[in-house]
Amino acid sequence: MKKYQLGEFEEVVLLTVVILHGNAYGVTIKDDIEDRLKREVSVGALQTTLRRLEKKGFLDSQHGDSNDARGGRPKLYFTITAQGKEAISYMREIRNQLWEALPDLSTI
Amino acid sequence: MKEYKSPPKFPLLLLKWFCNPAYHRDIEGDLLEMYKRRLQQQDYKHARWKLLKDVILLFRPGIIRSFINTQKLNLLGMFKHNFIVAMRNFLRYKTSFLINLIGLSTGIMSAIFIYLWVSDEMKTDRFHENSDYLYRVQANFNNNGTINTWDGVPSALPAALKQEIPGIKYAIGATDPSWQMKFDLSVEDSHISGTGKFVGKDYFKAFSYPITEGTSESALKELNAIIISEDIALKMFGKKSGIVGKTISWKFGQLESPAIISAVFKSVPQNSTDQFDFVLPFELYQQIFGQSWANPNSVAYVMLEDHADHEVITQKIAGMIKKNDPNSNATLFLQPYADAYLHGKFENGKVAGGRIELIRLFILIAGFILLIACINFMNLATARASRRMKEVGVKKVVGASRRSLVFQFLSESLLMILFSVLVALVGVYLLLPFFNSLIGKEIQFQIDLRFVLSALGFVIGLGLIAGSYPAFYLSGFRPISVLKNKLVGTISEFWIRKGLVAFQFTLSIILIISVLFVYQQVEYIQNKPLGYDKENLILFERQGNANEDLTSFINELKQVPGVMNASAITNDILNPPGVRGFTWPGSIDQSIDIKRFLVDYDFIETMGLELVKGRSFSRDFSEANSQIVLNQKAVEMMALDDPIGQTVRVSGNESKVVGVIKDFHHQSLHEEVGPMFFDLQRDFLSTIVVRISETSGNETLSRLEDFYQEYNPGYSFDYTFLTQRHSKLYESEFRISVIARYFAGIGILISVLGLFGLMAFTVERRTKEIGIRKILGANVGSMVALLSREVTWIVVCAIVIAVPISFFFIKNWLSEFAYAIEVSWLVFALAGVGSLLLAWLTIGLQIFKTVRINPSTCLRNE
Repeated sequence: MKKYQLGEFEEVVLLTVVILHGNAYGVTIKDDIEDRLKREVSVGALQTTLRRLEKKGFLDSQHGDSNDARGGRPKLYFTITAQGKEAISYMREIRNQLWEALPDLSTI
Repeated sequence: MKEYKSPPKFPLLLLKWFCNPAYHRDIEGDLLEMYKRRLQQQDYKHARWKLLKDVILLFRPGIIRSFINTQKLNLLGMFKHNFIVAMRNFLRYKTSFLINLIGLSTGIMSAIFIYLWVSDEMKTDRFHENSDYLYRVQANFNNNGTINTWDGVPSALPAALKQEIPGIKYAIGATDPSWQMKFDLSVEDSHISGTGKFVGKDYFKAFSYPITEGTSESALKELNAIIISEDIALKMFGKKSGIVGKTISWKFGQLESPAIISAVFKSVPQNSTDQFDFVLPFELYQQIFGQSWANPNSVAYVMLEDHADHEVITQKIAGMIKKNDPNSNATLFLQPYADAYLHGKFENGKVAGGRIELIRLFILIAGFILLIACINFMNLATARASRRMKEVGVKKVVGASRRSLVFQFLSESLLMILFSVLVALVGVYLLLPFFNSLIGKEIQFQIDLRFVLSALGFVIGLGLIAGSYPAFYLSGFRPISVLKNKLVGTISEFWIRKGLVAFQFTLSIILIISVLFVYQQVEYIQNKPLGYDKENLILFERQGNANEDLTSFINELKQVPGVMNASAITNDILNPPGVRGFTWPGSIDQSIDIKRFLVDYDFIETMGLELVKGRSFSRDFSEANSQIVLNQKAVEMMALDDPIGQTVRVSGNESKVVGVIKDFHHQSLHEEVGPMFFDLQRDFLSTIVVRISETSGNETLSRLEDFYQEYNPGYSFDYTFLTQRHSKLYESEFRISVIARYFAGIGILISVLGLFGLMAFTVERRTKEIGIRKILGANVGSMVALLSREVTWIVVCAIVIAVPISFFFIKNWLSEFAYAIEVSWLVFALAGVGSLLLAWLTIGLQIFKTVRINPSTCLRNE
């Protein structure tokens, strides 16, 4: 189904937002991905992906609190939408099907 | 915790500039948070760098603000509309369009011509690759407090410079290029004449006169070497190459020698001040004329090392001559080689302008003319505002912003200027040959990238200057009043327009006055009595058999019917060189700047100079010492009671004073008559001077030609009249006079056009008023006075402003001449009355047309 199509990085970002549930904004998402995946994420790449996911309707965002370190700028918290949840489940289902269809690796 | 350093501003500003405003706040927050964290973990440099990197990586399509959303106007459509409106206006008001087109395009054309000339002047002598390192050695001579500067140095200097001063790569001695030494070159029986000079052996390494055959290394090694130009090679051998090793004989006065061609160079380009056909080794010159430190008979060039500072070197060389010749009062300094052309005038040992003044003057004139043209444009555009006010009103009502109206009018001006530039370019293309003949150059008009770019910048710049005032003025109308047809001109606007016309006329009047004075001065110097009769004197070079035996040549010459007298001279009659070390009994330790003419018997008689004391040179008195004749000025400066019979020393040689002549102008009239003397020295006489009879000029010339062919077979008889040489002295003044006349004409034309346009408009607006006045019984005279009063006042104001300014200019210019005309008030009056008449003439026709209008025609339609 084309509706749920996600790129690899998009999937990672979407999952991370869910993991960080309630505390997902630019900096924490970036840290978490870098932590788990051991790869550097540029702010630019992350922000474009976040906005794209929002546009697709998988993410929702609200302005939140601020602090001095942010120069008075608010945090933008991301939460997953119902559609986003469906997308994750759909992805997972597809993956599972693929894994199940996979023959024993040692036989190849 | 480390000290907090505020984040760098630039990346954040950059972000703000390109980032979509909806995203900007929180992204900036994220970045700042990360920046602060990094600041604690790492150092400031690192954090700063990372921030910049993040911002740069944010520059991608998802984040960048959209351009479409912020500007919804259809720009292309707007352009098209503006273009159509502008074109319609041009077509509808053809007179204003033509006035603007003619005014602007002639103005721009003059500016382009001046640009071409200036850039050509600037390029002179700058073609040498090492131009930045090349210097000419100049000497300041301190004579009792007055410092004279010239470039003559002893021929021993270059070698000493090279040896003693570190930082000098090459030091090159040479003969003074201004001597223009004419040699006779021959191969077997064919003779040609060529300008030659002696140069030091590194000459071709320092200066970029490319060697086409042979090498610059070996070219001047041998004493019997000669290096010739391709032109000479072609003339003598009919080919440009394959001639190295051949032998040429050269001859200069009594000097002659065979020489072997060691190299060939590309003929000297036009934009070199130093023009020569071949060179000989400087060492040969030193051998012939000696290497005395007391005799400044050559010039020196140096090329510095890359790292050398010319100030430091100047300090080091300053005392070089004094060190070697204790009697000398010369202080040396360096002048960049390429600067000498434009900055060739020295006062008190400092550069005091030169040709650069002329260039500045012409740039100023170009600026004036452009300004006059721009003012025309501004005046016409604002004066005719009423034609556009409905358009502006309607547009504003429909919702046009002021900004878009300004843009519209500006683009209209740009279009106008673009048209004018195109017309001007065509004009420049067509008139270039004429311009070249005026200035005596061969400038090519090439359209290259640089020119296109500067022209484009010029169009935009001029468009903004000329267009901004009308644009802001027109776009500032209030819609309600303009749609009700009430255009109330403010007082300030009224004054601005009048002021601009007055300013224009001021500039034109300054130009007129200056041209009149320059013309008078040029006439004056052309016709001033010089103390001898300069007509009917012809000069030609001494060549061929005349070189063998001068006396018999001159004797036979005198036999030619129509020849009144004949003699010979070494130097250029109008520009004799000075000598140093001129002493006389009673000159304790002072020497004077004195000019020396090396002449033959009968020279004084041939020239027609008046003897006041003693006698002229005569064969009847054979004396061992050479004889000299002083002029009155020299006697006065030497403070001698009875100069006759006194013995003077010139560069070590003794001479006896036999006579005194009345002062005559032996230099250009820029200088006062200075001390000079005639020296009877028959060794190096190079120019034959002949006075021919007034009545049978042409016949005598053809007889002389026949005689010459017979006497000197194989040589051509090339003569010049002294009057021609004389005009050459004032060539630059003459050129200024002619060019200034054209530019003044252009300036006046443009101003008059402007006045014409303005008057046409005023008259058009006042027809109703005139109609009513006529009905009420006004007579023609009073109405003419009414309409012309304003213009009269403006012109009178312009005259009042222009007179003192031009007086100042003219005084300044005339101070260049030792002999100048009186600044007469008549000229100012003439210019004033002339410009007033011109203004009346311009407006007269229109006024008469209006005044004679039938009231019923102009009052009928409402």
